[in-house]
Amino acid sequence: MITELLPNINDLMTIILRGVAIGSLFTIIAMSFNIVHNAAGIFNFAQGNIFILGGFAAYVLANDAGFGMWALMLILATVVIGVLAAVQGWITLLPLRSSVEQDSWLISTVSVSVIIASGLMLVYGSSGNFVQGPMPRFTLFGVRTPGAFLLAIGAMFAWYVVLRFFLRRTFTGLAISALSQDFDAARAAGIPVRRLQLLAFGISGMIAGSVGFMVAPMISVSPDAGLRYVLNGFVAAVVGGVGNNSGAMIGGPLVGVIAALTTFYLGGAYQDLSSLLVLVVILMFLPQGLFGRASARKV
Amino acid sequence: MTTKSIPLNATASGKGSYNSDWQQFLVGVALILFTGIAPSLLGNSYWEHTFQLVNIYIAVAVIQNFLFVDAGQKSFGQGAILGLGAYGLAVASGLHGMPLVVGMLAGVGAATAGGLLFALPALRVQGFHLGFVTMSAAIVFPQLLNQFDKLTGGINGISMNMPALLAKPVFGLSWLTIMVTLVPIAALALHYLLRGMPLGRRMRIAAESPEAARSLGIRPGLMRSLAFVIASIGTGICGLLYVPTVSFISPQGFLIDLSFVFFFAVVVGGRGQLLGPIIGIWIIFILPSVFLVKLVEYKPLVYGILTLAVVILFPDGVVGTFETWRRKRNQQGGGEQAFSLGSFTTVLENLPDAPPAADMTPIISVKGATKRFGAVVAIDGVDMEVRPGEVHGLVGANGSGKTSLLNVISGLSRVDGGSYHFCGADVTRLPAADIALRGLGRTFQTPRVFQSLSVWGNLQIGLDARQTEPSADVARLIEDLRKAHGDDSPALLSHGQRRLLEVVRVVMKDPSIVLFDEPAAGLSPQERAAFSSLVHLLSRKLGKAVILVEHDLDLVWGIADRITVLETGRVVAQGVPADLARDPAVQHLFVGGTDA
Repeated sequence: MITELLPNINDLMTIILRGVAIGSLFTIIAMSFNIVHNAAGIFNFAQGNIFILGGFAAYVLANDAGFGMWALMLILATVVIGVLAAVQGWITLLPLRSSVEQDSWLISTVSVSVIIASGLMLVYGSSGNFVQGPMPRFTLFGVRTPGAFLLAIGAMFAWYVVLRFFLRRTFTGLAISALSQDFDAARAAGIPVRRLQLLAFGISGMIAGSVGFMVAPMISVSPDAGLRYVLNGFVAAVVGGVGNNSGAMIGGPLVGVIAALTTFYLGGAYQDLSSLLVLVVILMFLPQGLFGRASARKV
Repeated sequence: MTTKSIPLNATASGKGSYNSDWQQFLVGVALILFTGIAPSLLGNSYWEHTFQLVNIYIAVAVIQNFLFVDAGQKSFGQGAILGLGAYGLAVASGLHGMPLVVGMLAGVGAATAGGLLFALPALRVQGFHLGFVTMSAAIVFPQLLNQFDKLTGGINGISMNMPALLAKPVFGLSWLTIMVTLVPIAALALHYLLRGMPLGRRMRIAAESPEAARSLGIRPGLMRSLAFVIASIGTGICGLLYVPTVSFISPQGFLIDLSFVFFFAVVVGGRGQLLGPIIGIWIIFILPSVFLVKLVEYKPLVYGILTLAVVILFPDGVVGTFETWRRKRNQQGGGEQAFSLGSFTTVLENLPDAPPAADMTPIISVKGATKRFGAVVAIDGVDMEVRPGEVHGLVGANGSGKTSLLNVISGLSRVDGGSYHFCGADVTRLPAADIALRGLGRTFQTPRVFQSLSVWGNLQIGLDARQTEPSADVARLIEDLRKAHGDDSPALLSHGQRRLLEVVRVVMKDPSIVLFDEPAAGLSPQERAAFSSLVHLLSRKLGKAVILVEHDLDLVWGIADRITVLETGRVVAQGVPADLARDPAVQHLFVGGTDA
């Protein structure tokens, strides 16, 4: 009985590989969320569309390009998108200066998300575009695998290591980490809060943009795809504990594998539903995530 | 537009009322009547149809405004709730030919069920968490409509006509036109009325300061769930009307963009302003529909940019910016005499002394209370008793556990060990709202004063929580306060006055014990004296017990009957003031202590 429900070993390998590869994208979005959240207490709803912007950069600049050209354009796209994200951060933090209400960022990041998506829609139309990358297909555990899968997983580890080094070993990174502890104390200690927050936005743009560029061949590069990634990235962040990159390393692939299993058993149309259910269950029973820590209440 | 001929609110006095809800309501009704009826009177069927839809959107946006601001629930998924209402009706009556009544119940039922699904996570999380949950739901909703095509007709949609609604009973207005005009007016009226009701005020307090709400006996979770249910029923009714208005529904009509339209309309028009969502729909939907007919594909870009521009340039939105300006121009109150305890203490002084309580069982009895935050032990095995009518001082250096103990007593945090009895009943595990309903009131170190309410409104929420009938004297006093402060702006109060405002609010609640958390900080010498005499009168004339956490030791020693001294979470001394003043464990608090 039960064995009939289990996929055969080949299918299982495909599911896990696919799930982990897609999930590593969620982890990357989650890590790009985390750095901004830790530095500014903001969740950037536009993060998914910034990621897709990277995909469009690959479509426009490096479709079918050779490796050298591709790498050059990757660097260009990463820098440009990083700057754009910093500009978005500057705009987002503007109203926070004076406003009594603290949720203006929620509105401005959602509107930036809509602006990016509708702008892309106007220029490139609503259909998905396919990008040919420089990485050839290869066979892993008997499964034919797109090269971008390996890039996705590699990028996840690479950004994790880079961020860990940056946040723990450099002065600037430590200052950003200090912001997440206590804004006022950081300001009092002479840390240039606003500049660091903009830097955090810039880095989050570089993370999402660079990976969007690299993995363009494995995703549908379309204006409305961004929302899928922002939501799944958020689920990955919540599962791992908001602000916790190590947690996101588990959260992303977990969400990805659940989505791949859902696709296998029920069909692709239920992927987003399964992520939504995971999100609701986690928020209901483990609001701190699997690896988050409880904080003392302040009255 | 019709702003000039607005009659002033009958109750408004002097330079104008604190809020302009009534005026905004009237302008809103005028605008809704205009979009509802004018196209039919002009006899243009294209605009008639377009504006019927506009009016439904206005109703949904009005409800979103209530949910977003008054109840504080950041939902990005109201488009899906509208869709559930429409699909409920269309599936039941359109596809399966069930009677219309059944279809309508199915529509409203489906919308309410959707709202309850939103409310479920809202019990645990708020803010952006809820935003992501509702947004995912709005994204998943059309996917599911496509997927369950046996039930919903999938991508082919459902067409459903209701010819009976096209009959024109009066002035060439069809039943449908009349209904789509009345529903947004009803939604606006509901929003207006809720604001004047205790329920509406409770929701606003629960949204702005959950801990203040709990200390007034309000359960924030219940308020959120209620808000979602009210909003979903309203939005579900809009969904019912959506079906005959468009005669054909498909998943494409309920994409996430629709939810964004409602949300953006609220922001652009002015969050929390009654008129806001109507102006918002005019700006982001009506004007682009009229002037950008040929450039339909630019619409999302336009409303995205408009919203971003508004958030940056006029964070209060169009109506909100006007309202802020009006409020500044008309504001009243302020100055040294803006709010004082004078009238209050006078009334109390004239009361007869409270008879000594017959039953001297302690009203509060804490035994071995321990509270840890991780490795930090905030309070460590504290025993404390307070009797009815007793003024109990709680003193100690910063970090000695005073506020932690106060939070345990008011139920805002639970002890990890030990027990807590209130009026003889074990309330160790009871939520704060329940303890408040049993007769406990408290103030906070930072006064919880709500800018959305006038000075009187801030007192009224204490009265809303009152469970006893006020005596004739107190009722007269309350009426005086309403007259004196009905339109006063809390923004003009000094820090000390804000504290006193919170003090009077908690007294209005008429609890049997009041907890004051550093009430004298920031008070002027006169205010201090008035406050001390108020505490004295509360205890002697009304028989209230008082717990007073305070750094001003002279004040405490002057009015307390008994005092507990805390140090690093432990009780180091307890007794009457005269004895304690000679206790070596206490003396260092007076001279050369860490503070005081």
